[in-house]
Amino acid sequence: MGDSHPSGGADRHDGAIAVVEINDLHKRFGSVTAVKGLSFQVERGRVTGFLGPNGAGKSTTLRVLLGLVRPSAGTATFEGRRYEELDRPSAHVGAVLEDAAFHPGRTARNHLRVLAATGEHPAERVDEVLSIVGIADAADRRVKGYSMGMRQRLAIAAALLGDPQVLILDEPTNGLDPPGISWMRDLLRHQAASGRAVLVSSHLLAEVAQSVDDVVVISKGELRGQGTLDEVLGGDDAPATEVKVQDPERLAGALEGRGHHVERTADGLLVLGATPEQVGEIAAAEQVVVLGLAPRARSLEAAFFALTGDGR
Amino acid sequence: MSALLRAELLKLRTTRTFVTLVAAALLLSLLVVVLTTLLTDDLNEEDLRDLFTADFSSLFILLLGVMGMAGEWRHRTITSTVLAAPNRLPLLAAKTLSYAVAGTVLSLVVTVAIMAVGTLIQSAGGETTIGIADLADVLWRNLAVAALLGAFGVCIGGLVRNQVAAMIGLLVFAFALEPAIMGVAPDVGRFGPTSGAPNGVLDVESFGGEDLLAPGIALLVMAAGVGVAFAAAAALLERRDLV
Repeated sequence: MGDSHPSGGADRHDGAIAVVEINDLHKRFGSVTAVKGLSFQVERGRVTGFLGPNGAGKSTTLRVLLGLVRPSAGTATFEGRRYEELDRPSAHVGAVLEDAAFHPGRTARNHLRVLAATGEHPAERVDEVLSIVGIADAADRRVKGYSMGMRQRLAIAAALLGDPQVLILDEPTNGLDPPGISWMRDLLRHQAASGRAVLVSSHLLAEVAQSVDDVVVISKGELRGQGTLDEVLGGDDAPATEVKVQDPERLAGALEGRGHHVERTADGLLVLGATPEQVGEIAAAEQVVVLGLAPRARSLEAAFFALTGDGR
Repeated sequence: MSALLRAELLKLRTTRTFVTLVAAALLLSLLVVVLTTLLTDDLNEEDLRDLFTADFSSLFILLLGVMGMAGEWRHRTITSTVLAAPNRLPLLAAKTLSYAVAGTVLSLVVTVAIMAVGTLIQSAGGETTIGIADLADVLWRNLAVAALLGAFGVCIGGLVRNQVAAMIGLLVFAFALEPAIMGVAPDVGRFGPTSGAPNGVLDVESFGGEDLLAPGIALLVMAAGVGVAFAAAAALLERRDLV
C-alpha cells in the first residue's frame, strides 16, 4: 500500500538534506514485530507529522532513533550518526517522550539543573527555557504539584535545554487543554521557522494537521505513505464516491483490482480516490447493476483511516 | 565523567531523601550512643570502639544506593537520564561513585557526631575514653564500609528494578540470611557482602569474632563484591530496552 503513495527521498524539497534518516528499520519484541522495514526521512526547517493509530510502532521507532531501544535490523540516524554517537547528543537533539517523567520531589528548576549538568549545557539555559515554556513562576515548586499541562511544558523545556537543531516529540498534545494545544502548535511552527527539523508523532491527525508540513503515516509497523499532507492524505478535495449496486462484492473486487481503496458501508460501498464517473465506468465494464451513485467529500480523517486500515 | 558525577551529586542534593536519611541515621546512632554511655557502667576501650562502629549509616547508605538507582526506574526518570547521557556504562559508574561519596559524607557526619557525644558523656562521668589514634582507626573503617555499601546498593538497584522488592530483599539478606549463614557456616558467611565482609573491615567482636576476615582482606572482598555487582548491573543496563 505504501507503494501507491508518494515516498520522497532525502532531497525531496528543493535540495533539502534529510537530518533524520530511518532506513529499513525492524524491531521485534520476542514474537511481536513492532516495526517492519520502515524507511523515511525528516528535513530541516519543516514540521513532519509521524502519524498512525495506537500500536502502529511510532513510539518504538522514536525510541530506536533516540538510542533507548536497540533495533533488530536497519538504522536510525541523525545525519548518518546514531544518537549515542553524537557529541553531547542533547545539544543536537531534543526529545519529549510520551511518558515524560520526573522525580516528584524535585522542583522544575532542579530537574532542569540536573539535566543541564548531565548534558553539559550552561546553567543559564535553565532560566531561559523555563521562560520559553512559560512556567518560570512555578519553577521552584515541586513537580508532584504540577498539572499535566505544566509537566508537558517542563518536558519541552528539558528538550530545549541544549538549543537543539532537531526536535522529536511523541504525542506532545496528550493531556493538554485547548490553549495548551494551540501553544504547542505555535511552538512547533516557530521551531521549524527557525530552521530546526521537527518530528512530532500523534495518533490524532486533527491535532497536528494544522501545524505539519510533511507527514509520515505508518500502520502495523509499516510505512503507508510519506510526503506533504495533501500528497499523502489527499486533503479535503480528494474524490470519493458512494455507490449502491446489486452485487457489491463483485464491484468491490473490480475497483480494488484497479487500485482503488474500497470501504464496505451499510448501504453499499465507499470508493476512495475515484469520481462517480470512474466508478460508473468500471461498474458498466463489469456489468454490475448500479442502484445509486453519488460523490462524497472525503475528510482528512477518513483518508487517514483508510490509509492506516483503521476500521472507523 | 566529571559532568555525570556532578549531575548525580546534584540529584542527591535536590530531593529530601538524602537529608532525611542523614538525619534519621544521625538521630538513631546518637540515641544508641547516649543511652549506652549513660546507662552502662565500666565501658572499656573495646566496648567504646564497638559502640562508635555500630552506627546506622551503613544500613541507610545501602538503602539509599538502592533507592538512587531503582528509583530511576520507579519514577521513570531513567529515560531522560539516558537521553542526556546515552552511554550507559559511564552513567552507572558516575552513579556508583556518587553514592560512594554520599556514603562517605553520611558516615563522616554520623561517626564524628557519635564520637564527640560519646566521648563527652564518658569524660563528664570520669569514665574510660579512647585516644585520637583509636578514634581515627574507627573512623576510616566506618567511612570505607559506608562508601562501599553505597556503591553496592546502586548496583543492586541496577539489577532489581523494583525498588520495594530490592530494598526488602536486601534487608532480609543483610539481617536474616547472612547472620544465619555466619552462624552455621562462618567460613562462607564471613565473605558476605552486607554483613560478613563489612564486619571484618570494622573488626566487630560481637559479630563473628575470630571467624571474621582480617580487615584488609575484608576490604578487598567488599571491593570485589562491588565490582561483580557493578559488572552484572552494567551488562543488564547496556542491553536493556528502555520502552
